[in-house]
Amino acid sequence: MKIFLSHRLAVLQLESQILSSCILKYFIQSAFSNNIMVNLEKIAHLAKESRFDSMGPEASVDAEKLGALGSATKHDVCASTFSPRSPALPGICHSFTRDGRCVSLFKTLYTNHCTHQCNYCINASGCSSRGKIFSYSPEELANITISLYRSNYIEGLFLSSGSGRNEDTIMEKMIETARLLREKYCFQGYIHLKVLPGASRSHIGEAMELSDRVSVNLEAATASFMSEICATKDYEIDILQRQRYIRDLMSKINLPAGQTTQIVVGAGLESDFEIFKRVLLEYSEIGVSRTYFSAFCPQKGTAFEGRKPQPLWREHRLYQMDWLYRIYHFHHRELDFAFDEQGFLSNSDPKMAIARELMDSPVDPRSASYQELIRVPGIGPKSAQRIMALRQKEGSLGKAELASLGVRIKRASPFLKINGWRDSTLEMWSS
Amino acid sequence: MAKDLKPLELEMSCDPEMMLLRKMVYAVLSEMHKMLAFVRLKPFGSYALYGYLKPRHRIGAYVCDHFARRNPGTMIMLGNSRESWISLLSGGKIRHDHCDGLPHILDRLKSGTEDRDESEKAEEIWKVYYDSQYSSERRNMALFQSRMPKRYLKCAGVGLERNQCDTSLFDFVLNE
Repeated sequence: MKIFLSHRLAVLQLESQILSSCILKYFIQSAFSNNIMVNLEKIAHLAKESRFDSMGPEASVDAEKLGALGSATKHDVCASTFSPRSPALPGICHSFTRDGRCVSLFKTLYTNHCTHQCNYCINASGCSSRGKIFSYSPEELANITISLYRSNYIEGLFLSSGSGRNEDTIMEKMIETARLLREKYCFQGYIHLKVLPGASRSHIGEAMELSDRVSVNLEAATASFMSEICATKDYEIDILQRQRYIRDLMSKINLPAGQTTQIVVGAGLESDFEIFKRVLLEYSEIGVSRTYFSAFCPQKGTAFEGRKPQPLWREHRLYQMDWLYRIYHFHHRELDFAFDEQGFLSNSDPKMAIARELMDSPVDPRSASYQELIRVPGIGPKSAQRIMALRQKEGSLGKAELASLGVRIKRASPFLKINGWRDSTLEMWSS
Repeated sequence: MAKDLKPLELEMSCDPEMMLLRKMVYAVLSEMHKMLAFVRLKPFGSYALYGYLKPRHRIGAYVCDHFARRNPGTMIMLGNSRESWISLLSGGKIRHDHCDGLPHILDRLKSGTEDRDESEKAEEIWKVYYDSQYSSERRNMALFQSRMPKRYLKCAGVGLERNQCDTSLFDFVLNE
């Protein structure tokens, strides 16, 4: 028996290798059909011959500049490296910091010289602990990016900046960096360019042509909250209007990973409900691919130094709400049930809170629709699809089967009618 | 039997043997994904890049081809003391080789004039940059360790983040 089992396991392991190699070939869209076995020395000879010297002199390291301009972007949380172009760039995380966040892009400011006065920012012109002013040159930045890319530390570049003396001049420099990368170094990786508030429409168009994604940060939920946190930026003209330019230009220019934006959570006094209302407007009117949330952390020397730091769970719950809207396609009226009377989210799963309010009768997994199934806590899109697939094969759907499909039985069973029986009544949950 | 299976069928099936197969396939794909992420390459002369790789599954050739496609015209050599894989994308075709130990083939190719200092530049830049991205308010060692599991770091020969993982005296003294 044991020999039979271990033989079976060996066969299964071999099958899994074959299968995964088939799946890999299915996913790796290789344009090249010829893979040839060739001797090592011949390969080395071919490589030396086909050398086109596109690498300039090696990048020299100014550690202070690198550190200062790099750390200034750590509150800009977009870390996506996925770009749906052909060949598609899958999202790969090359490294993680000790806080569990992905570091897969060379994220940096072009310069930390800024004339805006955002009350939460260490580079604001009124900040008392502002450090030395640094700036890159386009060649320097391109060199560093290419060195890191060749050594497989990064997937691409995320370039933001302070406004310098004039945001159009800085935008030109950022665009030149991207152009050097794409044209001189034939860089095929990911580029995310930040559009500075107030940048001109033509610069935005040039930036879009060279990058995978562009974004303008909202920072606040409405114009009145913006005036509290930054007196020098005009919400309507500098930010929303720029987002509309990007939206309009996307019909002419291909921007594979779309437009995104970011809101600072907790710098002003806006409630989660007001933030979420803005998020919904962004999706419907501006058509962003995603919104990001960055929990406010008071920085020394800034005007907001004394304000309370925001708990990270507030950011996490807002991301969950965003997910329910974008991926699960909940209606915004359903989502309103997750907010309390003051318009804030609590530190508990919003899907559970919504299910408790809205579900008045248990769901039968043998006859429910996909929409009804994913509203059950403990059932996500994959489990719901597996349930629908199993239904077609007319298998039994008891607790054990559901658990093996990936359903979290403990969370889901109060809401389900399994094999005609209710496990526990919903009254238990509506206290 | 395995070749007739479609990816969707494997994904949606509830048969116990299929589920076991699914777990195994995901283990292989997961290692593939992590190796693409964690392998670090160093320049070898101006025409090649080399790096350490010791995978548990037979994915060495795929990983090497991936880097060959990302760096056209550059020879990629990945391996460990026992075996190594070489790929080059040139003229629209990928050329392979599968050899024994990496140190051995590096010796074969070295003509004595390669300048080794250049290869440390990227690592220096990365060290400074990586440190600048850390936000102490968000410290979460459990999440960090689950996302950078030691076994994958060992397979790719990544040292930097593992060293950061161990608390040093400074962690206590400076209260970071």
